[in-house]
Amino acid sequence: MTVNILIADDDEVMLQIIRSVLSRGKGFQLFIARNGKEAIQIKEKNKIDLVITDLLMPYANGFEVISAFRRDPETAGVPVVIVSSIGNEEAVIEGFKLGADDFIQKPIQVGEFMSRINRLLAKSSTNLP
Amino acid sequence: MNIPVQTDSFFERFFRQNFFYFDRYPLVIKIAVLLTLIAVITILVAYSSILLRRFAAYLREKRLHAIHPHIDELLTEYVLLNEDAMMQVPVEEVRLQTEVFLSRQFRKRWQKQALIDRMIHFKKNVTGDISMLLTRVYVETGLDKFSMSKLKKMGWSSKVIGIVELTSMDMTIADVTILPLTNSRNRTLRAEARNAYIKLSKNDPFKFFDVTMEPLLMWNQLELFRTITTTEGLSIPNFARWISYSTNKSIVAFCLKLALHYNQREAIPSIIHLLNTRDHYLRADTINCLGKFMAEDAEEKLVHMYFNQPVNCQIEILKALGRIATGNHLDFLKNEFLRSTDFELRKNAAKSIIRHQALATQMIQELLSNATTENALILKHCMNPLIKY
Repeated sequence: MTVNILIADDDEVMLQIIRSVLSRGKGFQLFIARNGKEAIQIKEKNKIDLVITDLLMPYANGFEVISAFRRDPETAGVPVVIVSSIGNEEAVIEGFKLGADDFIQKPIQVGEFMSRINRLLAKSSTNLP
Repeated sequence: MNIPVQTDSFFERFFRQNFFYFDRYPLVIKIAVLLTLIAVITILVAYSSILLRRFAAYLREKRLHAIHPHIDELLTEYVLLNEDAMMQVPVEEVRLQTEVFLSRQFRKRWQKQALIDRMIHFKKNVTGDISMLLTRVYVETGLDKFSMSKLKKMGWSSKVIGIVELTSMDMTIADVTILPLTNSRNRTLRAEARNAYIKLSKNDPFKFFDVTMEPLLMWNQLELFRTITTTEGLSIPNFARWISYSTNKSIVAFCLKLALHYNQREAIPSIIHLLNTRDHYLRADTINCLGKFMAEDAEEKLVHMYFNQPVNCQIEILKALGRIATGNHLDFLKNEFLRSTDFELRKNAAKSIIRHQALATQMIQELLSNATTENALILKHCMNPLIKY
């Protein structure tokens, strides 16, 4: 069974890093969005199982992406991970308030990042009916 | 018989052909024509130089656009997805195929530069073993020497680039190389060198505080503060050392902030001693620092010196008394609130009275009941918890 993961980040290098880290795991299909608007469009057209999003992005920021997922009853339960260099308390609290499941601050530690993603995926698969 | 041949210069011929009567024009017209010509030529030169620069930038962008995906691919394959690193092998023992980064594709200067820039970009996004592996690639491919060579160049911008590269890649720079740069006449170079020195110096990261003669600008202080507070494993000295002995006022002012940030209460005696400084801006910073430390020992001295101070220091004294809030000088604050002619002083005195909370409840009620309209307004403004400034 493939797991559809949406990655939204405007930094090409970060996208490359996340892509390569996730390529270590098997059965992941990755959807790449270079801004928030693209991420929301991808959500409309595909079934997404996990979202990894940056906060500062053009057109629509990470908070708007999370809100879009949470507003839609079909995607309200999809786990969302924020990966951002903004580490201030307000941003983290705002993210969690909107429904994010985890917050990882850049720079990321590859092993830790992977285990957090796996944990969220395992948790969401047990929640499935 | 030889007839002398009259040879005209290019300009004479040009003017004769195009402006037949040029010689007969009035002087003003001649000057106007010449100025117009000069202006046209200048514009043509300026536009061609802009076009050339833009074309060069376009070519550079095109080359980088082509090489970046290739570099990303190599860094991903040989560093991020390194098999040994995935097997948790210690970083020093990981087998790296550095020869791929030494191939013909990375021989030219611009190619090396592109590789370094991309490595720095990767390093900013990852930490842990992968970050250390990137540093290993940087060293083993000799790119550290390439960055180091920039420090020996004459231009300050090359030196700044060199420092930024070495700092970003966590390389150490010898004190003899970096220390003179912390005192450079160039502001940008000076700031970068100081940042790098704190980050990279293993012996005494704050040594440049002793030697620096140039002032630390406010923006540099912010940058340094960020570097100091975010660099891991930095041994923090007692900042009282510079507060007492440095002759550089900006260093002293900066050390006051650092002493406060690290809550070095042992520096309070040195800070109280600094109240005698003749520079009233520095004195205002000192009073502010004592207030934030809630240094009760300084309260008497602050009240004692109040009337001899310029307004900026008086405001800081009133603020400090509100922060220390022992209640010993409530009457002094009340007098200043009622009698001062300066609005800022009255406002700060009121704010400090209110900061005393329970100790001043009765006094606040009394002031409110007897206050003039303006004073009542000031008190109510200061009592509003939503108004901070």
